[in-house]
Amino acid sequence: MTRPKRSDKKGETRLDRTTALDLYTRMVRIRQFEEKAARLYEQGLLPGFLHSSVGQEAVAVGVCGALRKDDYITSTHRGHGHIIAKGAGLDRMFAELYGRETGFNRGLGGSMHIMDFELGVLGANGIVGAGIPIAAGAGLSIQLRGTDQVAVAFFGDGAINTGAFHEGINLAAIWDLPCVFVCENNLYAESTPQEYVLRIPALTERARGYGIPGELVDGNDLVAVYDAARRAVERARAGKGPTLLECRTYRWYGHYIGDPAVYRPQEEVEYWKARDPIPRFEAWMKEHVGFDDADREAVWQAVAAEVEAAVKFAEESPLTPVEAALDCVYS
Amino acid sequence: MELLRVIDGEGRPLREAPCTDEDARALLERMIFLRAFDERAVALQRQGRIGTYAPYRGMEACQAGAASALSPEDWLLPTYRDHGAAMIHGLPVEEALAYWAGRVESYRAPAEVNVFPPAVPIATQIPHAAGIGWGLRRAGSAAAVLCFFGDGATSEGDFHEGINFAGVFRAPVVFFCQNNGYAISVPFSRQTAAASIAVRAAGYGIAGERVDGNDALAVLDAVRRALQRAREGGGPTLIEALTYRVGPHTTSDDPSRYRDPEEAQRLALGDPLERLRRYLAGRGAWDEADEARAQEAARARVAAAVRAVEAMAPPDPADIFAHVYGAEPLFFQEQRRRFLAELESAARPGAGGPAARGPAPGGAAGGPAVRTEGGGR
Repeated sequence: MTRPKRSDKKGETRLDRTTALDLYTRMVRIRQFEEKAARLYEQGLLPGFLHSSVGQEAVAVGVCGALRKDDYITSTHRGHGHIIAKGAGLDRMFAELYGRETGFNRGLGGSMHIMDFELGVLGANGIVGAGIPIAAGAGLSIQLRGTDQVAVAFFGDGAINTGAFHEGINLAAIWDLPCVFVCENNLYAESTPQEYVLRIPALTERARGYGIPGELVDGNDLVAVYDAARRAVERARAGKGPTLLECRTYRWYGHYIGDPAVYRPQEEVEYWKARDPIPRFEAWMKEHVGFDDADREAVWQAVAAEVEAAVKFAEESPLTPVEAALDCVYS
Repeated sequence: MELLRVIDGEGRPLREAPCTDEDARALLERMIFLRAFDERAVALQRQGRIGTYAPYRGMEACQAGAASALSPEDWLLPTYRDHGAAMIHGLPVEEALAYWAGRVESYRAPAEVNVFPPAVPIATQIPHAAGIGWGLRRAGSAAAVLCFFGDGATSEGDFHEGINFAGVFRAPVVFFCQNNGYAISVPFSRQTAAASIAVRAAGYGIAGERVDGNDALAVLDAVRRALQRAREGGGPTLIEALTYRVGPHTTSDDPSRYRDPEEAQRLALGDPLERLRRYLAGRGAWDEADEARAQEAARARVAAAVRAVEAMAPPDPADIFAHVYGAEPLFFQEQRRRFLAELESAARPGAGGPAARGPAPGGAAGGPAVRTEGGGR
């Protein structure tokens, strides 16, 4: 199967209006957070690097929307969206990016290493593929403790040819661990197009090599992602083992903010921008649960106010002192 | 996935053989030699004449069948259990035996023999094979690479990264997995949830095949076709050969602690030598005189190697420090000095007791007290 699965018009999904609005709001929170962070970064206000997930919101929200608060996720260097979708407050997110005491990790993690155990966020990760065995380990802990939680690993297409992908998924498969492995395939590993490093039409080809189900999903179709994630999460919760999901999507910005992205054609960017997941879900809501311009306005304005307050909170928070840099390196 | 077999468990032909009777006879003679080597090596270890040994008993069809498909210019990457294949590809017998005798001057392939040193870490040779194959292809060479590994290696990241790379860059490599049922003590059922190793080929966009690894003719056929594909630019192949490690993991292992002794019979793979013997006998191409001749030739060849290794000058204990660093750090030089000083004091008349082997406080017996520098152990 190499055609990404789209949501069925007739709708196997029974998304009620409240849930739909919640998922929609999460996508808008990610979009506005990322756009604001990019502007702040361009002004030189944020230290380090910044990897934007604009364009990929439906994957983060579709998967995290299918999770409970006590479920776990591991994330990537492009992780803001996953963490916001899992329920993170924008104020502590911005504070972390600003290197402030009030950040999720006192500013010691920065953009690429945000973690919060209370939200089940076991960590964004600057190392490509490293979250996969960590999620398998979380799955083993769930199995040993006998709870019905689920552990999800988000990773990009660059991670799928690392040894960590192979070792982590194989272990989860042998032990029937309650894991969902979500590949956000945005077609580029930094500047390397996928066809340079992969000879198969879809990652689902690999699932059989681990003896687990695999599914290819249109990652810009929130409902399709949500449906696929629910199936995978239910399967994991029922003790039937892991699933590999490949969600095809696209990052609008370059690999990092400031990357001129000369390795990809402008028409390709335009093609994907025309498939923006947010208006697509608006259209779905109009048709299925009711949604109008006033609803849209209300969500965007509320989120804009939240972003503004969050940035203010971060800027007014104390800077983490330089001496703290060596804290939390060794126990 | 279909399992390729040329002869059945009783040696009856199931399909046309990939080679002439003459070639099949040569293959059987090689397997008889490999069995004789293996049996002698286990005996030498039990007598304390060589060190720990990893027997390949039961896997001779893989060793001889796969290596017999190679052309002299092809490269072989063996593991520690593939000295059988290495000898078939031209590694001198005494070089293989000297390795197990712990000699630093062993496994030296002559210039015209394209055999790599054995890989002891699991799966490290797989990315090496991808690199060698890619290099051969870029250099416009007609040679191909045969890379051996076991079922335990297939769960390593190196397997994944190496095979994906070879697939993408069309490296002329045959990845030959001897699935012998156990990774030391871990049974294959605990190695992967997949139905087979060969199905993974699809995940790399390369050809995959499953063969009866105790059927020497099937192994020869599959590896020969895969090498041909590699040479023609068709890229790598992943071959899974189903076999069984009849003996222990090494001479230091007791498999009765983790597997049922009846298991081998239940698998019904049969003894690879006996299967080929019956096949040839059924065609009137092998009789008792042939068998006696082959056994005698094998024993003589192994005996000559044993004599050659045992005639070597005693090894220098300092050899264990050879080939570790290009530029030796201070702590390493100190380790050697201390090691040799301890040996010397232990060898001194009247100082051979255990007390003399420990660190010498105050330097009374073993020279000045030694403090290891630079975090050396």
